[in-house]
Amino acid sequence: MRTLTRLLPKLAVGLVMIWAVATFTFFLVHALPGSPGDAAYENYILSGMSPEQAQAKVSSIYGFTSHDPLLVQYRGYLWRLLHGDLGQSISYSGVPVTHVLRAAAPWTIFPALAGLVIAFLVGTSFGAVAAVKRSSRWGGLLSMSGSFFAGIPVFVLALVLAFLFHTEWNLLPYGDTSDVTLTPGFNGPYVVSVVQHAILPVATYALLGYGAWLLTMKSSVISVLGDDFILAAELRGLRPRTRMRYVSRNAILPMFTVFALSIGYLLGGSVLVENVFDYPGLGNVLFQAIGARDYPLMSGAFLLITVAIVLANIVADLLYTVIDPRVRR
Amino acid sequence: MTDTAPQAAAAGAFAAPLASIASAAGSAASAASAASATPETEVLVRDLTVCFRTDRGEELPAVAHADLTLQAGLITGLVGESGSGKSTLALTLLGAVPSPGRITSGSVQLTGIGDVTRLKGAALRQVRGGKVGYVFQASQNSLNPLKTVGKQLLDLGRAHDVEYLPGLVRRARELCELMGMDGKRVLDSYQHELSGGMRQRVGIVFALVLNARVLVLDEPTTALDMLSQAAVLKIIGQVHKEIGLTTLIVTHDMGVVSELADRLAVMYGGRIVEDGPAEQLLRRPSHPYTRALINATARVTGDISRARALPGRPPDLASIPRQGCVFRQRCAFVMDQCATEEPPLDAWGGDIDNAGGSGRRRACHATPEAVIGA
Amino acid sequence: MTTWRVLTRRPGRVIGLLILALFALMAVFGPYLYAGPLAVDPNAIYSAPSAQHWLGTDFAGSDVLQEIVIGARYVLETAALSALFAAVIGTLVGLVAGYHRGPTDSVLMRLTDFVLTIPGLPLLIVLSTIWSFGQPYEMAIALGVTGWGGVARAVRSQTLSLRERGFLEAARGLGLSSRHVIFRELLPNLAPFVAMNMLLAVIAFIGAEVALFFLGVVPFSSSNWGVMLNQAVFSGGAMDSPAALSYLLAPLLCILLITIGIVLFLDAVDELFNPRLRERS
Repeated sequence: MRTLTRLLPKLAVGLVMIWAVATFTFFLVHALPGSPGDAAYENYILSGMSPEQAQAKVSSIYGFTSHDPLLVQYRGYLWRLLHGDLGQSISYSGVPVTHVLRAAAPWTIFPALAGLVIAFLVGTSFGAVAAVKRSSRWGGLLSMSGSFFAGIPVFVLALVLAFLFHTEWNLLPYGDTSDVTLTPGFNGPYVVSVVQHAILPVATYALLGYGAWLLTMKSSVISVLGDDFILAAELRGLRPRTRMRYVSRNAILPMFTVFALSIGYLLGGSVLVENVFDYPGLGNVLFQAIGARDYPLMSGAFLLITVAIVLANIVADLLYTVIDPRVRR
Repeated sequence: MTDTAPQAAAAGAFAAPLASIASAAGSAASAASAASATPETEVLVRDLTVCFRTDRGEELPAVAHADLTLQAGLITGLVGESGSGKSTLALTLLGAVPSPGRITSGSVQLTGIGDVTRLKGAALRQVRGGKVGYVFQASQNSLNPLKTVGKQLLDLGRAHDVEYLPGLVRRARELCELMGMDGKRVLDSYQHELSGGMRQRVGIVFALVLNARVLVLDEPTTALDMLSQAAVLKIIGQVHKEIGLTTLIVTHDMGVVSELADRLAVMYGGRIVEDGPAEQLLRRPSHPYTRALINATARVTGDISRARALPGRPPDLASIPRQGCVFRQRCAFVMDQCATEEPPLDAWGGDIDNAGGSGRRRACHATPEAVIGA
Repeated sequence: MTTWRVLTRRPGRVIGLLILALFALMAVFGPYLYAGPLAVDPNAIYSAPSAQHWLGTDFAGSDVLQEIVIGARYVLETAALSALFAAVIGTLVGLVAGYHRGPTDSVLMRLTDFVLTIPGLPLLIVLSTIWSFGQPYEMAIALGVTGWGGVARAVRSQTLSLRERGFLEAARGLGLSSRHVIFRELLPNLAPFVAMNMLLAVIAFIGAEVALFFLGVVPFSSSNWGVMLNQAVFSGGAMDSPAALSYLLAPLLCILLITIGIVLFLDAVDELFNPRLRERS
């Protein structure tokens, strides 16, 4: 019950945030001078359509025409959004934006999630070691590696990995999701090829998240190690293993904020990762849409990335509530 | 209670007349003075020195050549200002030294265990919590906030290889009831659901649930309000008597130990400067520091106009004099000898009206008569 | 003097400072060192490093070292300006939120959450469709306005912990005005902390601006490292020809070096402001 009362405001904030982003993209795309809707309309007129035809065409793409009052346009946009209708893509001539996004989403979500899990496992363990051994040389090096990977720009990482493992050592394939000569489906060579192609993007995502996990875990463990109850556990003769469990469970709590931040970072970085590795995910869709001035697709992709991050925040909060009794009751 | 000590039963008849200060737990104290006739040693600290190494590589002693005997069945109070080394000394009973300190000489003998400073690993773990129960200075925060008290109790049981865990739970509930708490409720609670005084008592339960023979309480009342303080003190006295423990109370507050303790040891600058039976020491302090400490505590003298603040500040590790008496800079009885020669902690005949066998010791160049009579 | 001792305790920290100094010098004096336009030599396309071209040449035969040195000013100037904007906005928001608490705090923190939640790079890319912010100060405004969330949150929590220490109550008890308390009491105490966050922001902003040029979504107003990377990867075919190694790696290594420099230097700053770390090392 308490969980619900705690979660509801978060949900409300998330919804407001999604609404705000939707409104932002709406005004960005439709209401600014030289709106793409107007431009498209004029193009259709120039190409010989009648004004009615052109208006109908624009309306089918954007969901309204710029001849309506702004408020009507906005209401129409939100109404369609509520029904999961993001309009039609221009560059994929007439395909609904949702279809394009649905096809692209797995190529972002799975590599990013795999990278997130790896980064979490490695980052938190190394962070704990870095905290316990913080006065030794190894501890120092580990923290340094955390700061380094937390600071290094996404594309630098992606390019260096691609250059080293593909161009220089020729160990791994690079570009696209699999070998194009293979038939997609559940057959051995194709699956192997997909996995091989995924290694570098996943590694990039993992290294991207690693630093934040390590650094936060380190400072969290240091602060828990200084807590009285850990000393108490030692002086009550608890086993070192039990004490380590006490430390890790208490230290892991602040990690949920990193989870949310990390998701945002990874999804934001997907534009670059997918660009370098030529991966057909959401980031790449967003990038291509901008190149093609495909505004419905652009705002759809941007909105979806934001929604994913908002949802991740809510999930993180839910997990936090489950693990911390002080919040639960 | 299966463990009731024989000493506690022999209470009463021989009780020396108590000073006005001994009150609620007076019966415990009288039991103890009776027992002191046939002292049995539970803990024996010999020549213990604990040093901290500084950045510059110097070794600074937090405890220097301390000798302390805890007699079975008695409550001993270890009194001193913060930084006097009293907590460090108490921790060595568990074979623990706060880092970066280390024991450079001496031993801590526990009856039936041996020298605890030489123990390691599993053997040391068994002493901690098993033989010696320790209640923390910040006992309110001595519990894992993410686990119920009961689950932490089970962790404790497993760590000490308790074969029958339900028995442990029953014992914990008994102890809870003994301290005036609802055992079942407490075990089902998280730390944040308990009040400060309750957490303190849970700390005592954890210290005793494995049938520890020795109970060490580090500043048991500091963080509590006056009412909880009184309640916790009363409980400590009761539990001590009923279970027949050997108890060490570490405190800066003379008032706390004056009500409870059978014997007192006073620490200053890492040295034990005086010890002996509590009421003798309180009535006739023979060391200038003890005297000043008692005079500074209005609650002990009962007369606020007679309370005297001690001039100067307590020394920290770096400012303790390396030579001579550690107290001389604040001492009213200082003489030339004090600057060069550190006074040894010597047995002293004792009180004028209770000569012989009192077990009093003092470390001072001034004569006891001069200090007591002043 | 503690500062100096902490800095020199580990050689890495001095190295970090030296790296940062080197790049700062490059940004200030680089353009004077190589005055005039970039020389193009069709006979020396992708030539290997030599005495004449220390880092080799690019696809048009231009000297890579010269491009790096000239490009440093844009990259660093923009990053520094962005960090300054972000620090100013973030500090103001964090300070006000932490000082006033209550509803002001809630509103400002929701706003901060909002800024933090919206993914920075996609937002900038989307923004680039309506505003081509290629000039250094324009780029800095775009980055600063979208990137102050982290600073604001950090400053707020620091402000709250300063409150805990009670000297705010003391200052107000003396009848000092809010403005005095904020600017005279809080800000000086926060300054080193803000500086630390600014250094961190510089790393992030270098990444972001170079990424935007690398993706090619902002117009190439001047030669800089991002433009170099874009041309190397997308038109220079550097990913497939090992001969382009130095052209591709030079800007990447510069960014890595700056990152390392800041990280090494921050290690010292961190120890200065986190006594808990200082205690044991």
